[in-house]
Amino acid sequence: MSETPPIAGDFLSLLAAHQVPPLRGDASSSAPVQTQATTVFAFHFTGGVLVAGDRRATAGNVIVTDRVDKVIEIDATSLLAIAGVPATAFEMARVLQTSFEYYRRSQLQPLSLPARVRALARLLRDNLPMTIQGVGVVMPLFAGLDTTITPSRAQIFFYDPLGAQFLAVGHAASGSGSATIRSILSFQEHHGQPKPSEMTLRPAVQFALRLLMVASEFDSATGGVHPESRSFATIKVLQSDGVRTVDADQQAEYLAP
Amino acid sequence: MIEEPFRWLEAMENRREYVREQIKGGSPVFAASLPEGILLLGVGTGNSKVFELFDRHALAGLGHPADIEKIRQAAIDAAHLEAFTRAPEDVSLRRLVSYGLGPQLKTNFEQIFSAPFLVELLLAEVAAQPKQDLLFRLHFDGGFRSESKGVLVAVGLPDPENAAQTWLLQNASGRTDRREVVDLLLQAWWCLTENKSFTENAPSEEERRAGWRTAVKGKVVEMGWLARKTQRSARFEWLTLPGLGFELHDPAT
Repeated sequence: MSETPPIAGDFLSLLAAHQVPPLRGDASSSAPVQTQATTVFAFHFTGGVLVAGDRRATAGNVIVTDRVDKVIEIDATSLLAIAGVPATAFEMARVLQTSFEYYRRSQLQPLSLPARVRALARLLRDNLPMTIQGVGVVMPLFAGLDTTITPSRAQIFFYDPLGAQFLAVGHAASGSGSATIRSILSFQEHHGQPKPSEMTLRPAVQFALRLLMVASEFDSATGGVHPESRSFATIKVLQSDGVRTVDADQQAEYLAP
Repeated sequence: MIEEPFRWLEAMENRREYVREQIKGGSPVFAASLPEGILLLGVGTGNSKVFELFDRHALAGLGHPADIEKIRQAAIDAAHLEAFTRAPEDVSLRRLVSYGLGPQLKTNFEQIFSAPFLVELLLAEVAAQPKQDLLFRLHFDGGFRSESKGVLVAVGLPDPENAAQTWLLQNASGRTDRREVVDLLLQAWWCLTENKSFTENAPSEEERRAGWRTAVKGKVVEMGWLARKTQRSARFEWLTLPGLGFELHDPAT
């Protein structure tokens, strides 16, 4: 019917065959001030991995919006948290969503976790011209279920702008507020009680919301959490049975004294 | 040959006979629109009859596995390209069949020096309301029709298909329970595979029920479900006979 893609089940090959490049790499260094998205982080808790992000996007000193969802469900076993330029990051998320489902449906089996992790690395490498020009830099986090072990276990990966991928043992953070969050997460893991990895869902969500509150005190690009105006975070958890969203109502309930 | 119309017509007829001869023994497949979703059913070897295509779309087919695979792949390619270049909501079964698969199958069928596709297919699209569901019957020669009465069957030969379709429309009407409909479709499957009549001297309901339960031993009843309401964008899920409460005491089924 149609020509076989160069690599079976590879959606990027299919796009290339139809001359639809997913990312464009010919930006000018005189590009306008870019919209940026910060801050995201992920840590292990007793139920799996919690991935959270504030909801602010900025361009220079301008707040563009406080309603961005930076934690994106890629498929039933993968989460992507984006920090950097949303225009590029959302496109990467869309490419991954379509690629993973395309592979699963066409090959009649899900893509392995290492392949999913590398798929994002490949997109970051493809974005290298934009990154080098300082336009379209993306520093994502990726959480995926490793289904090769029983029970399946959620894992966290972080990347550098060139596409190198690293497995995070306990936690990872990205974006302009990440320094604050990494410091607190590291302190809590080494000296706190309970450690993040020993928290159940409710304390883990409370901890995540408080992390964003503190980060927003030191970083104007981090939106923070404001229960009084019902401005919360985007929080998703990846468990052995898949992805679950902790919505604003639940966050309000967990934060209530 | 194109300049000689009678030879052309004869070639087409020979080709049609050849395809039907090749697929007449194929295991029939079914689709049924229910209040909570669309059911697709076939009896095969696992991953051989029923397939997920896209978020709200699925396919069931009989014929040569390699040909089903080519068409399945073409449909998946087209659906995902459409979703990526426009939006997942823009992937529509009507466009996929009318402008994609149908014309491609017709072109292939009329190229008399290449092998025809040995397939008969059903395609389904679940919508927000049952009355908006789409069921398409797609033939090896590119001919297609949509069915609005909620149940559709594909068989390798036209006469048994028409008989089964009429019987199913009469008997599935008003049934909303998924388990009951699965039972009914498997009764029809057994009658078709055993060449039992749907009208004169038709086997009793008890015979049909016992028949399919015996006949599916050692085979896989492949059942796909397109859920109407779900939290996830991908609506397709697999069903099993034990999961629906059928006890067959055979792990293979």
